[in-house]
Amino acid sequence: MAKPTPSQTVGPFFARELLWGDGDKVLFPGQGDRITLTGRVFDGAGAPIFDALFETWQADAAGKIPSGGDGARPYGYGRVSTDTDGRYAIETVMPGSFRGPGSETYAPQISVTIFARGLLKAVQTRVFLAPLEAIKDDPLARAISDPDRLRTLIAARDPGDPKIYRWDVRLRGAGEAVFIEL
Amino acid sequence: MAETPAADVHPPYLYPDYKSTRLRAPAQPLVRVAPSPLDTAGPTFPKHFVKDSEADLTTWGKSAPLGEKMVLVGRVLDEDGRPVRRSLVEVWQANASGKYPHPVDDHEAPLDPNFLGKGQVLTDDKGRYRIVTVKPGAYPWQNHAFGWRPAHIHFSLFGNAYAQRLITQMFFPGDPLLAIDPIFQSVPEAGRRLLIADLDLEHGVEGVALGYRFDMVLRGPRATPMGV
Ligand SMILES: [Fe+2]
Repeated sequence: MAKPTPSQTVGPFFARELLWGDGDKVLFPGQGDRITLTGRVFDGAGAPIFDALFETWQADAAGKIPSGGDGARPYGYGRVSTDTDGRYAIETVMPGSFRGPGSETYAPQISVTIFARGLLKAVQTRVFLAPLEAIKDDPLARAISDPDRLRTLIAARDPGDPKIYRWDVRLRGAGEAVFIEL
Repeated sequence: MAETPAADVHPPYLYPDYKSTRLRAPAQPLVRVAPSPLDTAGPTFPKHFVKDSEADLTTWGKSAPLGEKMVLVGRVLDEDGRPVRRSLVEVWQANASGKYPHPVDDHEAPLDPNFLGKGQVLTDDKGRYRIVTVKPGAYPWQNHAFGWRPAHIHFSLFGNAYAQRLITQMFFPGDPLLAIDPIFQSVPEAGRRLLIADLDLEHGVEGVALGYRFDMVLRGPRATPMGV
């Protein structure tokens, strides 16, 4: 087997090179309930990370994995950077749940990959758009025994606006999000 | 469970000589989980997402950019040596003076009005790509006293599955700055050579552009046949 090419940091200079004007609006061929996933990314000292590349990839409203695109952009994929407050926002549809090859059920979720200066490898995780009680059978939820750690992956629905899901990400230290490897 | 080969070549999250890792590296172990159907699929980039002209970074301006013109060729393969076909490769880099056209780049070096330093290409049916550009300059950074980054080209790859997503950097052979670059040195010794391009003169353009070759290998999720 050939050795994989090692990862390196995205560095601080990517905004003009990698970002798309409408990368925050995730496209799908069909309809769905439009929602916004938004929050802030913090470092181990609690300071906002203002130069992260934040990517999302998800199923459509029916739980179908997207393929193809609208001609200019792939379906199901979002790409933004955090701002000076460490804030990101992705406008998308509420993903449906879907099944894996062994018929296991994946709760409504969005795959998130974060690249940044100081991250020699991307961090990857899955954020759940459903409350704790509703995700217990999800394969990742089952792999995380500590409910406090699992809570780091649950986006909270904004009580004032049900279309907004809020999810903050701590890369290191107290409240550190669970990151995954495949 | 046996250690995966990938663990031998990827850098750790925490590499204190690269100071920005100290507050950004996760401290908790990663949770191992089976690839989901999202991981074994991935965003599709339609053919017309990429224009042919975007593979040539030297034609962006009104005239040729300053610097040493180069042609970079290579293949994207999976760990079994199979070509990763029709997948998006994005590149970005500093200009020949080591300057990015970026508001937060405070390096006192000239911008080049004829060079943006951004390109993209889709691999062909054999996993091949070809980029025309100029050799980027080294640039200083504030990680440590007298720190300079070796010349490098940033790469972003999608592969054919989300689990293959990779961002990395390509370096140049014989660069003395590699020995003092903590970002390059963060890679375990077994992996460092994999980040250095080879001279490949015949793929250059006689009398015009120096040829280099840089092949890349993308890992699939463990124990999952990825296919292409
Ligand atoms: Fe760079």
